[in-house]
Amino acid sequence: MSEPVLSVRHLSKRYGDGAPVLRDVSLDFEAGEFTAILGLSGAGKSTFLRCLNRLVEPSGGEILVPSAILDREGGQIDVGKFGARDLRRWRRKVGMIFQQFNLVKRLTVLENVLSGSLGYTPGLPSTLRFFSSADKRRALLALDRVGLLPFAYQRADSVSGGQQQRVAIARALMQRPAVILADEPVASLDPKLSLAILDLLRKVGQEDGITVLVSLHVLDLAKRFSGRCIGFAGGEVVFDDAPERLDETAIRRVYQARTEELKAYPIPT
Amino acid sequence: MSTLDRTAELVLPPPPRRAAKVWALVALLGLILAWAFVGTGFDPVALVQGVPKMIDMASRSWPASYSLVVDPSAYEFPHRLTLEQLLLPVPLHGDLAYVKTAWWQNTWPNTLLGGTLQTIQMAVAGTVLAAIIAFPISFLAARNTSPDRSVYMAVKSVNNFLRSIPDFAIGLVLISAIGLGAFTGVMALTFGTATVLIKLFAEAIEGVDPGVVEAVQATGANRLQVYSFAVVPQIMPSFLSFVIYRFESNIRAATVLGLIGAGGIGELMTSYFRMFQYQEAAMTVLVLIVLVMIVDFTSARLRKLVI
Repeated sequence: MSEPVLSVRHLSKRYGDGAPVLRDVSLDFEAGEFTAILGLSGAGKSTFLRCLNRLVEPSGGEILVPSAILDREGGQIDVGKFGARDLRRWRRKVGMIFQQFNLVKRLTVLENVLSGSLGYTPGLPSTLRFFSSADKRRALLALDRVGLLPFAYQRADSVSGGQQQRVAIARALMQRPAVILADEPVASLDPKLSLAILDLLRKVGQEDGITVLVSLHVLDLAKRFSGRCIGFAGGEVVFDDAPERLDETAIRRVYQARTEELKAYPIPT
Repeated sequence: MSTLDRTAELVLPPPPRRAAKVWALVALLGLILAWAFVGTGFDPVALVQGVPKMIDMASRSWPASYSLVVDPSAYEFPHRLTLEQLLLPVPLHGDLAYVKTAWWQNTWPNTLLGGTLQTIQMAVAGTVLAAIIAFPISFLAARNTSPDRSVYMAVKSVNNFLRSIPDFAIGLVLISAIGLGAFTGVMALTFGTATVLIKLFAEAIEGVDPGVVEAVQATGANRLQVYSFAVVPQIMPSFLSFVIYRFESNIRAATVLGLIGAGGIGELMTSYFRMFQYQEAAMTVLVLIVLVMIVDFTSARLRKLVI
């Protein structure tokens, strides 16, 4: 077995004095793996993903990554100990996809994709939104991969929701990511577009060997696309196995449902 | 049975009893009103007695002195220069160059047209300068972009303090420091406008979609890049709208500053009134009305365009 691209060790998070949102989470992710993260709202899925690129600061534990990711020698290094500079170098290797797409609406589709290269071009030109022709070419190629090349010069808010999520994927690809974190990427899309977006995420993940972590609340989608399912409940990992192993007991554990609740509101599988 | 027939059976809740409260409130308002009128020496008799004087003054202002604008003699063109030499950037030597500079610097701003244009120049310079100063500072004065909470608190409270100083007071201080003239007016406008724009800009920044900020941060962008990509595009329409609106108010403010000697059409207006040249003063007021109308109209149009 190869060295995992991401090793989470005893990760915990609590906001202020509140109840812990994550308790002692330990997980390993292989390069190129496509993992679905399941759980109710508030189970800690979003917080877990955001801890990995430290958009949320973890309260404890380690996030170990190979030092080669920051072009360094040596074994594994802890993301939690990165200073501002190393953190930016790590973030640029981690693409993130959001439920609300989070594109810059008043900029063009192309500029949104180019923003994926900001971690590689920290200088003044990119701050003033000037990019090299090589970067522009890469951005156009990324747009072509998600099938949106004709929309490159349109304003981001002029394209549909499904297309905006494709732009977001192109932005992530522009980062030349080792990992893509997708936080409920299809929760704002209709079922047909959901399939298309997840299919695209799986495809680019396979082609580029990107480790993809997708949080989902539709069980069927998780079973259909992922090679591995992780169930969160109350901030803990309560399931971690192949999707075929998600039987009724496992589902009950993930969704914390009692048998009578399951009968009244059966979880679609 | 229709619903109408059932109204007789309805047991109505008791009507609200607020009569006493309403009367107390009315009495209180009456007292406040009386306090305000007594304190300002309200005197309708003086107002009525003043009517003949007003009519007299109006008749002496009529007709407004149109020649101030249309009569070439009002511009006191130096006879040693041709109009072409005066108005176009042609090379001149010695004495003639001096005459030309003197006319542009001393005579032209004191004509009605020149004074009006100077007021516009003051408003443009003051507003743009203030916008340039306010733009970077507003990022420090916004909770979500300030590098540190203490920086945010410090910038915000200093700005709140500076904003509470009236433009007029700043104008008076600056006049005693750098003397009379349009430049003083521009500086006073810049100061007053910058403090207001910092507040408005900062509030616009605090209203940006945090999801977009998070998304750009997640690409590994540094602080300035996050500002440029996630914040600036979102706030640009409100920024421009605020700047245009402040330009509009600065045209008025520049006129008021003229009253204390800071150049432009306001200065002309006071000097005509002081010299009892009512026809000239009336013309100045007319020009001012037209100017404000034009600026109101265009700024409303421009703001619609940017939003």
